[in-house]
Amino acid sequence: MARTPTENIRNFCIIAHIDHGKSTLADRLLEHTGTITTREMQDQVLDDMELERQRGITIKARAVAMPVKVNGKTYELNLIDTPGHVDFQYEVSRSLMCCEGALLLADAFQGVEAQTVATGYAAIEHDLNIIPVINKIDLQYQRADEVAREMEQSLGVDADECVRVSAKSGINIDQLLEAIIDRIPAPTGDDKAALQAMVFDSHYDEFRGAITYVRIMEGTVKKGDKVQFMRSGTTHEVVELGQFRPQQTPCGALFPGQVGYLVCNIKSLEQVNCGDTITTVSKPASEPLPGYHEPKRMVYCGLYPSDGQDFKELREALGKLAINDPSFEFIPESSDALGFGFRCGFLGMLHMEVVQQRLEQESDVDLVQTAPNVTYEVITKRGETLEIHRPQEVPDSGEIEEFRQPIVRVNLIQPEEYVGAVIKLCQERRGIQQNTEYLSATRVMLSYDLPLAEVIYDMHDRLKSATRGYGTMDYDVLGYFPADLVRMDILVNGNRVDALSVICHRGDADRRGRAVVKKLKEEINQHMFEVAVQAAIGSRVIARETVRAQRKNVTAKCYGGDISRKRKLLQKQKAGKKRMKSVGNVDIPQKAFMAILDTGESNKK
Amino acid sequence: MNQRFDNVDRDTFRPALALPRSVYVHVPFCRHRCGYCNFSVVAGRDYLVDRFLNAIETEIGWLDRQFEIDTLFLGGGTPSHLSPANLERLMAAIRARFSLADNAEVTAECNPNDLDEATASALAAIGVNRVSLGVQSLDAAKLASLERDHTADDVHRAVERARSFATSVSVDLIFAAPGETRDAWQVDLDAALRLQTDHVSAYELTYEKGTQFWNRLNAEAITEADEDTQADMYTHAIERLNDAGLAQYEISSFAKEGHRCRHNEVYWNGRPYFAFGPSAARFVDGVREMNHLSTMKYFKQVEAGERPIDFREQLSPEPAARERLAIALRHVDGVECESFERETGFSVAQLLGKHGPSWQQDGLLVMDDRVRLTSAGRMIYNHISSLIERAVA
Ligand SMILES: Nc1nc2c(ncn2[C@@H]2O[C@H](COP(=O)(O)OP(=O)(O)OP(=O)(O)O)[C@@H](O)[C@H]2O)c(=O)[nH]1
Ligand code: SF4
Ligand SMILES: [Mg+2]
Repeated sequence: MARTPTENIRNFCIIAHIDHGKSTLADRLLEHTGTITTREMQDQVLDDMELERQRGITIKARAVAMPVKVNGKTYELNLIDTPGHVDFQYEVSRSLMCCEGALLLADAFQGVEAQTVATGYAAIEHDLNIIPVINKIDLQYQRADEVAREMEQSLGVDADECVRVSAKSGINIDQLLEAIIDRIPAPTGDDKAALQAMVFDSHYDEFRGAITYVRIMEGTVKKGDKVQFMRSGTTHEVVELGQFRPQQTPCGALFPGQVGYLVCNIKSLEQVNCGDTITTVSKPASEPLPGYHEPKRMVYCGLYPSDGQDFKELREALGKLAINDPSFEFIPESSDALGFGFRCGFLGMLHMEVVQQRLEQESDVDLVQTAPNVTYEVITKRGETLEIHRPQEVPDSGEIEEFRQPIVRVNLIQPEEYVGAVIKLCQERRGIQQNTEYLSATRVMLSYDLPLAEVIYDMHDRLKSATRGYGTMDYDVLGYFPADLVRMDILVNGNRVDALSVICHRGDADRRGRAVVKKLKEEINQHMFEVAVQAAIGSRVIARETVRAQRKNVTAKCYGGDISRKRKLLQKQKAGKKRMKSVGNVDIPQKAFMAILDTGESNKK
Repeated sequence: MNQRFDNVDRDTFRPALALPRSVYVHVPFCRHRCGYCNFSVVAGRDYLVDRFLNAIETEIGWLDRQFEIDTLFLGGGTPSHLSPANLERLMAAIRARFSLADNAEVTAECNPNDLDEATASALAAIGVNRVSLGVQSLDAAKLASLERDHTADDVHRAVERARSFATSVSVDLIFAAPGETRDAWQVDLDAALRLQTDHVSAYELTYEKGTQFWNRLNAEAITEADEDTQADMYTHAIERLNDAGLAQYEISSFAKEGHRCRHNEVYWNGRPYFAFGPSAARFVDGVREMNHLSTMKYFKQVEAGERPIDFREQLSPEPAARERLAIALRHVDGVECESFERETGFSVAQLLGKHGPSWQQDGLLVMDDRVRLTSAGRMIYNHISSLIERAVA
């Protein structure tokens, strides 16, 4: 295949609020450029991870090269499909660095939503040329004119420049292709210069090792080149390179502006840091490209095998996952209550759920999960700064000079009539209002600073129920700020269950303590003896409930058929997951370890 | 398709592997379905009776030879719902492969309303000598809430009739029905005792998934009796029945001297049994099998010449021993330790492990040459049995 001249390359991504149709639009572009025939087409081709298909969302960013002929000239369009969920923001920004332009997609009915604004701003920050696109104009209740004005108001794009399409019915896709070629600038770069290739993603292939996704900024990379990863300092030989069309299609070299992949016999993704710069050993670049930072894990939880024997299996399963997902981290820990397990760090709650679901699908280990918590900071009296990944690590209150928690700036967009309800929700969660902005006559964007801990667990659900599903939110971490925090412990028959401790605001402790012990009382089955469940701060008990001793537990009938039915049930249960942990003599079901998330708010669903 | 049982040289120390000497036949017909019932039942579809009898003939016919049995149990559903001619046909199908030993116990479950003159004489004619009556209650309001279609008068007549040909008459009773008070149960139980039957089965109402009652419970249209009420009612039943000469011999079973149900004791003693009909469960050659619960599915499979098995399991020796011990403890007499060990290869003490001493200390279990639960132990039988069975990973 002949090399595409750099001036005929267009690199762009599609950014949007979740479900506004990025993946579907990508499908149409693939089809209209002939990259994929209609026969090969299946919905959301790029979402090929099984989990993505199950959930209908994009988790990993994908890249695909599409050759297209317009007005007699052949262009190469490189599309990077990005995830829409806030947990995967880091992947979005890496993708942005590889593009000159962005299609900012908004649903013609839903209009501008929180992530439309968040990703739009991110694209502006990266100096991308934005093509505003209004999708789903086939919808009966589309309000494209209004949405165009919302985009103008919230992001300063020109309403007249909006391209109106239907990704589903394929309306105006050719017009969009022309806009991409006309409005997005070609990349620049000198193919003779020292190589600078930006690593923007990677995945692990069982047979070939790490597949590194790159965008060539300067220089040329060829098969057989000895290359260096500038940040990690490792060197490798390029054994294969190519482009995604959308299958991996090998070629001899990648030139400036091009997007493709490298295979270098790398046996673990740990060595492939997204954001790193690749150069050649023979003619190294003087500096790496800017913009690299470690993905920040914001949420931690403990994962324990429900049967201690499975520790090794769990470690293997986690290791396998980490190979494919460098943003996930795990370190061994132990708990008095749960034995040996792992403290795992995630980008956010969705990331946590995704990892857990994969673990369950890919290994047979029964898991006990502790409630997730955010990372805190403690400044000790001696002036040290401790990073707290789990409540057990909180030192005695006498040693704490300052207790800090992560604060985020949350943008919430909703129809005007729900503003009151959303403000109430934010206030209940100790939010501080920063800004109010009318995006249109009826849609309002509120900005609040809130503790991350108040945001991640169920804020999204609560926002949805407070706004009948119309509200959307997005957030950015501002940093760590002092707060009046305490560790609340849970005692079961007098024994502190370390895995049930939780960090919360002192002012909320009583309410939460009462809610948690009440919830635990429901979750813990009756035993032959009374079980006392207490919440305490230090040595002060703030709430108590009792699980009564069991007086009677006997099934009346047990004949031939009942014996067989019971066996059948037992077999089914064995196949399912039995999650219990014994603490002292008390069996605590898996669900109980999540009970501590109960905030005790009255209007919980 | 023949089931072969030619391996006659069996290990006599393994009663579970011995030839079964008991047969259960499930007759899935009822006039209507009661709200609490989750049995395999086709209510109000009597046109299926012929198809059922054909299927039973086929299923039993698959055995390759004749067996002698000590107990036969016609359960359901309600076998008494069959016409005299059909009862005869059913028994002929059974007799084609099974001969009754002298003194064999032949039980039929009957609904009080079905037991008219003709049905009674048909049952007598086919050799039924034990009648188990689905009485449930003698209280009009409770009967209505349980959706039973008989009255207290019907029950009296039925008991009378049953006595005319059966040597043993039993009644089933239910307690802790929705809204039932302790006092009401005492009155109801006394009324049942005045029937002077030889045997009583007293069951606490259970809310089974898939029943009307279950749905209503979840919709909060009815409420389940609380634990204390249930426990008090159960305790009262045990005491009152014992006083009346009906000694408890199993968690829910009470009998006068010589009137224990031998067929049910086969289950509790871990002995093997044959079974036929939809949902019927058998224990043959150490293998537990259960037929399809759906009557229609059962028909189709049998008609296609396939064994209608929904579930099959053969336990390895230790889980089998544990199960056997757990089930035996339902019986007031428990099990004899020495023969248990000889028959299963595991000693009772070994299987109980650390629980043995602690349960004895807590007054839940007694162990001498036999092991058995105390009344306190039986009160929490599920807990105890699950610990006995759970000990195997
Ligand atoms: N009516 C209509 N529906 C569309 C159109 N485009 C996408 N959809 C539907 O919108 C839903 C979301 O589309 P996706 O393409 O998965 O959205 P996404 O933006 O990739 O979602 P994430 O990757 O999870 O952020 C799907 O049910 C699509 O079928 C359109 O033009 N018209
Ligand atoms: S009569 Fe017995 S078997 Fe028939 S539906 Fe009622 S409870 Fe069930
Ligand atoms: Mg998508």
